[in-house]
Amino acid sequence: MRGYRSAIYEKQESRAAFLFILPAFVLLAVFIFYPMLHALVISFQNYNLIAAEHHFNGIANYRKLFSDETFGASLWHSFYFTLVVLPVQTAISLGLALLVQKKFRGVGFFRTVYFVPVAVSFAVASTIFRLIYNKDYGMLNAVLKGIGLPALDFLSNPDISMLGIIVLCIWRAMGFVMVIFLAGLNNIPDSLYEAAHVDGANAVQRFFLVTLPLLKRTMAFVVIITTMDALKIFIPIYITTSGGPAGSTSTVVHFIYETAFKQMNMGYAAAAAFLFFFLVLIISIVQLRVFRTDVEY
Amino acid sequence: MRKRLLLLSAALLATASLAACSNDNGNDGSSASPGSSQPSSQGASSSGSSDEVVTLSFWRHDYAPEAEAFKKLIASFEESHPNIKIDFQMIPNDQYETKIRTALAGGNPPDIMALDAPTLASYANQKAIIPLDDYFAKDGNKDDLLKPVIEGLTFDGKMYAAPNNEGTIVMFYNKKMFEEKGIPLPSKNVDEAWTWDQVLDAAKKLNDPAKGVYGWNPTPWGFVGHEGAPYSEMAFLWQAGAEILSPDGKTAKGYLDSAESKKALTFWQNLFNGDKVSPKELPQDAFWNGKVAIHVDGPFAFQYQEQNFPNFKLGEDYDVAPLWKESKMIGTTGSWGMAITSHSEHPDEAWQFVNWVTGVEGSKVWYEETKNLPARQSTFDAFQELKEYPMNIYAEQLAKYGHPRPVTPAYPAISEAIRLLFEDVGLGNADIDDSLAKAVKKIEDGIATLNP
Repeated sequence: MRGYRSAIYEKQESRAAFLFILPAFVLLAVFIFYPMLHALVISFQNYNLIAAEHHFNGIANYRKLFSDETFGASLWHSFYFTLVVLPVQTAISLGLALLVQKKFRGVGFFRTVYFVPVAVSFAVASTIFRLIYNKDYGMLNAVLKGIGLPALDFLSNPDISMLGIIVLCIWRAMGFVMVIFLAGLNNIPDSLYEAAHVDGANAVQRFFLVTLPLLKRTMAFVVIITTMDALKIFIPIYITTSGGPAGSTSTVVHFIYETAFKQMNMGYAAAAAFLFFFLVLIISIVQLRVFRTDVEY
Repeated sequence: MRKRLLLLSAALLATASLAACSNDNGNDGSSASPGSSQPSSQGASSSGSSDEVVTLSFWRHDYAPEAEAFKKLIASFEESHPNIKIDFQMIPNDQYETKIRTALAGGNPPDIMALDAPTLASYANQKAIIPLDDYFAKDGNKDDLLKPVIEGLTFDGKMYAAPNNEGTIVMFYNKKMFEEKGIPLPSKNVDEAWTWDQVLDAAKKLNDPAKGVYGWNPTPWGFVGHEGAPYSEMAFLWQAGAEILSPDGKTAKGYLDSAESKKALTFWQNLFNGDKVSPKELPQDAFWNGKVAIHVDGPFAFQYQEQNFPNFKLGEDYDVAPLWKESKMIGTTGSWGMAITSHSEHPDEAWQFVNWVTGVEGSKVWYEETKNLPARQSTFDAFQELKEYPMNIYAEQLAKYGHPRPVTPAYPAISEAIRLLFEDVGLGNADIDDSLAKAVKKIEDGIATLNP
């Protein structure tokens, strides 16, 4: 008798759960899965953006990608960007989080100030940084000249242009990551710090032996999200440097955008997009495995 | 509680569907129903008559001086053609190409679209726009159009757009700076243009890094990411005697990477990296603020100066001379026109509007409002000021030495290749042979995708 009742209850529960998920799933299917499938089909076609009909050309698009110098360069730019941004941004954000964790007078002000760049529209920030970075009349070089340092021509020197974009992105995102780290730090019970202190650990040892290990879950989240966002960076490239100077800041997403809408070669762009999708997927899976942790506190 | 929830969700659904409705204006081609809500319609009178009122949608990129001209022309058109209404949408400049292409891809483009001459071939090749030869033969006054204009708008033997105006670039120079340094002023005669070396010579004398003044800015907007850069850079290649494509348009190898091209690019590289007379980053309004001594610009510059820098006067502070030359005298031409999309259900009515704006009379109104170079001989003859300084330099240069950009469906690839080529060599100081090889490959790839 009892088993029968709980079976019906189970069935009702799972049906209710299914109905709850259904709207979100439908939205996902319509706006994400279906377009992805369509894009996959396009990547196997010779698809001009404004043509009336399209022809299949097998894996020609993918094959061309492997010999495309520009695509290779854009991949390298994306990875270079990620390799620099990931450690630097994480370190800075963690440092900021540690600084504003203590509740002294005025800490709210600092937390807000560090977070304000995140609230600014990325497009607006990119436009303003473009003015700041101008070699002769930008604010950055005005300040540098005043101190007596040589000018930095981020917008016209292909060697350091990427660094200019990196600074912009770190400035913008550090507040957000700081907040995430704050949450993670607040989850570490004080008793552990006290215990370590009693055992004779100094501040540095406490950081490396208590804080960092217990931040592993937060760190995993931060690293995975930062990597994904960094690989997909587009807005500052499009607005601040337009992929220049001399194509030195063209990342993969920028390459895809240009190929699809300027060159109107949709099939090729879709192939590049899918190749990139798999790349990012593999990297994320690897990171998830590396950060797998059973630490509980 | 339940009733409230139902009421709330019903209200939400209703507002959501209303929002979806109001987004739909002007995007669905021509609709014939007079009662439908078209909030951005320019027509003043209400269309309550029972005979069909045709509404045509027209998209153009946003440029303030032209908005006024269009308002006038649309108003006069609707007055004389009461059964046609024009739904005019202006789209922000840098989004225009993307928006029109996605609309064409999505199957809901406007009836009439603005078109930059070099992109015509890529649209025509995909049959996104219709040929206008029959319409021109009927009442288009094709013979009135200038030869380079017809050349630039013809693809595969058919004309696909009607021109609003033409355009070319000439040299602007800061007269006061020239006089201060005792440099003789360039001739205003189109047949006596300065050579590259003469301009470079003057630029070196005018260059003043201590004051932040550059001698020579060779492209109107600097190294930008849009069409403005290759528009002016291609002139350098042609002036040196190089061509970009073979005559049949099938290859760039042997043409773009010729010795003449190398000469042009070596000169270009020197401007930015050797003699350093040219700015790598062009500040806003550099010429008008006296930061650049020799500049290059189109006819729209005069209006811009009058509106924004009224104290920097023509004839006193600055002057205009023909564009420089090398072994050939050439200025890039080609500007905006209007085309009818193949999606349109009312091409005849669309042509009536296109002809109204670009025809003999419309062209005169257009010139008066925008001061852009006309595309029609009759307009040139109608205005005395086009025969006088400074506009005569533009007019004569256009007629005698104009050179349109290559008319080929692979133009987007060519434009990008040239733009990157000049950036690599100018900003990146890269090896010229490598950069040329890269550009040739990009163009060849672009041509290859057209012929699978």
